[in-house]
Amino acid sequence: MFKKLLFATTASPVCDNAAKVAFDLEMKWEAKLILLHVLGIPSRGFGLQVVDVRTGEKEQPSPDYLEWVTEELKTTYAAFLEESNARIVTAIGEPYREILRLARKEDVDMILMGAHSRDEEVGAARHRQVAGSTLRRVAKAARCPVVIVNRPCTTCWKLFSNIVVGTDFSKASESALLWGYKLAREVGANLHVFHAVDITAGGLTRPAGQTDLEQRIQEARRRIEHHLLPKIKGYEKTTVEVWEGIPYVEILKFARARQADLIVMAHHTREVDPEEAEMGSTVEEVVLRSSCPVASVNHPDKVADLL
Amino acid sequence: MPEGKLCNRQPVTTLEQLQALLADKGGKQYYEEMNRLEVDAKALWDTIQRTCKSRIRTWLEICTHCGLCAESCFYYLANHKDPSQVPAYKIQSTLGEIIRRKGRVDNAFLQYTMDTVFAKCTCCNRCAIYCPLGIDTGVMASYTRGLLFSQGFTPWEMKIGSGMHRIFRAQMDVTTEDWVETCQWMAEETSEDWPGLEIPIDKEGADILYTVNAREPKHYPEDIAQAAILFHVAGENWTVPSEGWEETSLAMFAGDWEGCRQQVQSVYDAMARLRPKRMVVTECGHAYRATVIEGPYWAGLPTGKTPVETLHYVEWVAEALRTGKLKIDPRKKIKEPVTYQDSCNYIRNGGLADAARYIMSRIAEDFREMGPSREHNFCCGGGGGLNGIGRYREQRNIGLKVKRDQILATGAKLVVAPCHNCWDAIRDLEEIYRIGIRWTFLKPLLINMIEVPEHLRPREE
Repeated sequence: MFKKLLFATTASPVCDNAAKVAFDLEMKWEAKLILLHVLGIPSRGFGLQVVDVRTGEKEQPSPDYLEWVTEELKTTYAAFLEESNARIVTAIGEPYREILRLARKEDVDMILMGAHSRDEEVGAARHRQVAGSTLRRVAKAARCPVVIVNRPCTTCWKLFSNIVVGTDFSKASESALLWGYKLAREVGANLHVFHAVDITAGGLTRPAGQTDLEQRIQEARRRIEHHLLPKIKGYEKTTVEVWEGIPYVEILKFARARQADLIVMAHHTREVDPEEAEMGSTVEEVVLRSSCPVASVNHPDKVADLL
Repeated sequence: MPEGKLCNRQPVTTLEQLQALLADKGGKQYYEEMNRLEVDAKALWDTIQRTCKSRIRTWLEICTHCGLCAESCFYYLANHKDPSQVPAYKIQSTLGEIIRRKGRVDNAFLQYTMDTVFAKCTCCNRCAIYCPLGIDTGVMASYTRGLLFSQGFTPWEMKIGSGMHRIFRAQMDVTTEDWVETCQWMAEETSEDWPGLEIPIDKEGADILYTVNAREPKHYPEDIAQAAILFHVAGENWTVPSEGWEETSLAMFAGDWEGCRQQVQSVYDAMARLRPKRMVVTECGHAYRATVIEGPYWAGLPTGKTPVETLHYVEWVAEALRTGKLKIDPRKKIKEPVTYQDSCNYIRNGGLADAARYIMSRIAEDFREMGPSREHNFCCGGGGGLNGIGRYREQRNIGLKVKRDQILATGAKLVVAPCHNCWDAIRDLEEIYRIGIRWTFLKPLLINMIEVPEHLRPREE
C-alpha cells in the first residue's frame, strides 16, 4: 500500500512528530521515502534571491547554500537516517507548489506533513502562515492521501486498531472511505464510518427541531448503509455512527471515544483563493485539535483498485 | 588581466558558463574580476560609430541643460533632489562623455557608467514626456547598457539573466518539456473545479496565442491556471505554444541585443508556426515592451509591429468585459478603496492607460487614481531589472519611497498591479516600509468576481 512516501518538512520541531511516522512507515512497509524541504520562496519579478522559509532572510540559493541546507537536514534527522534510505530533496518555490510538483512527478502513495507551529520558533508567524495555507493547498490538489501528524503518534501503523472515516457524502469523501478501508483491511483494524449532521447548517439563528434532526440522522444512516457500505464490500470490522452537532467537534469526540489511531476525511473546498477562505474548514479544525494523525483524501487515484 | 573567467566581454551561451556564474554567490568573484577588466576602447568606439545614430547624437547635442527633467525623475525626488540624479546630468556624464572621449575611457569610468545607468535609471522614460525637446534619457540609458554589455560591464544578475535567454529562450531554466508538462499539470489540477477546462498546446489557427513570464511555469504555475480559467469562462479559442512561450527579456535590461533578438524571434516563430489570429501576453510590463514594442525592431521586421496583432493582458480583459465575454457580478465588485499601479512599460510606453481605467471602472466601486497617474505615473522602483540586482538593492529601496507616498496619498489599502516587477516592488515596499497594504494581479481578482455561466459550473455531487 505504501511503496513511495513523501515527507514534506520545514525541518523544524513542528515536523518532528510527522518525521517519526514517516521514517517508521518507510521501515515497516519497506517503502521508498523522499524527504522534501522547500527552503526558499522566490520573488514574482526578476531576482535570484529567495526568502528562506526558516529565517525569513533573503538568500541566494547557490549550490553551496543548497548543500549546506542538505547537510543541516541530515543533522536534524541524523538519528532516523541511520536506519533509513531516505532521499533528501531540496527545492526552491512556494512550499505547497513544490510538494505537489514532486508528489506528482514521483507518483507517491502518501504525503506526510506536520501541522501547527510553535511560538518559540524563529519566524513562527511566517511558519504558521506557510504551514496553514500549505496544508490547505496540498490537500486540495494532491492525488494521493495527505497525512498530517500534529501530535506524537506512538502507535505503529501496522498495529492500528481503529480507523475513523468521516464522510459528508461528497465524491471526495468516497475516496476517503475507500482509502480508510484499504488501510484497515491491510492492518486488520476496525473501520468506523462516521457522519455528523451539521446543526449549524442553515444558520445558527434557526436551530433545527428535534424531529427534523432525527429524520436527518436516519437519512444519513440510510445513505451510509445503502450507498457507502456496499463500496467496502462487507468488511466485517465496520461500524456506522451518525451524530449531530458541529461536524469537527463531533468527529473529534467520536475519534476520542473510539480511541482512533487515524482519522480519514476529505478536504474539499471550492474556494479559489485559499488565503481568502475562512480559517476553520472542518478538516483543519480537526487537524489542529486531533490527538491522532489525520489523513485528507480527496481523489480516487490511490484507491482505483477498489473502484 | 584583460578579461575575467566570469566577468568578460563574451555573452553566456553554455550551461557550464551559466552554472559557474550561479555558483559565484552574490557575484563576489565576478565583481572582483570586473575591477581588473580591461576596456577595449577601440571596440567601444567602433560600436558607437556603428550603432549610435542621429537620434541619440542629436539628443545629446541639443540638451540645453534646462533641468526640466529633474523633477520628472523619481530617483531625483527620492534622493532629496540630489543634482547628480538629474536625468540630463546622468546621461551627459556617462554616454555623453564616452562619445566626447571617442570611447577612450577606463575601467573606473565604465563602472561609474554602469552604476549610473542601472542604479539611477530604470529606463521608465518618464523624463522624456517632460523634456521640452523630447529627449528620452531612458532610451539613452538603455542604449548605454548595451555598450556596457559589449564591454563586459553589466551587473552579475544581468549576465546570468541574458545567458538564461540565450540558452533556454526564457529568463529561467525552464525547458520545453518543463513548460508543456506544467501546462498539462495545471489543466489536470484546474479542470476538477472547472469541468471541460483545457490548456491547448500548439493548436493551429486559434483566436488567441497566449504567452507568459517564465517565472509562472517555474514557480507560480497557478498563474497559468488562472489565465486558463478566465479564457475558459470567456469561451475563447486559445492555445499556448510549446516553444516561443516566453515574453520577458532580461536581455533587454542587460543590453544584450543579440540575446533580445533571439528571444523575440522564438515568439515570432511560434506565431508563424501556429498562425493565431492574435496574441495575448500575461500581466507583465517589460515583457510587453520587449516582445511587442521593441521586439519587431530587434527582429528586423520592417513594419515595426509583431507578426500578428498583440494584446497586453489588460487589453484582453477590457475587451472581454466590454463585449460581455466576462461578466462581473455587481455584488462582488471591490468595495474598499483601491488604486492601480500603472506599469511604465505598457501604460506610458504602450499607451494602455484607458484599458486599465475601463477595467477598474467595472470591478471597483471606489477606484482612486494615484497622483500623478496614467502616462504620468512614476515607476514602481523595480523597473529596468532593479528588483533583482543585489549590488543596487539599497538604491532601489530608496527609490521605492516615491511609490510608497503615492499609494499612501490615495488612502487605498489595495493596489492592483498587473505587472510582475511592479507586483514585486510593491511587495518589497510593504516589507521595508510597512504601510499596511495588499497588492494583487488582476487574474485572481477577476476569478472571484465573474459570473460563471451555468454550463461551466462544477457539477455538484
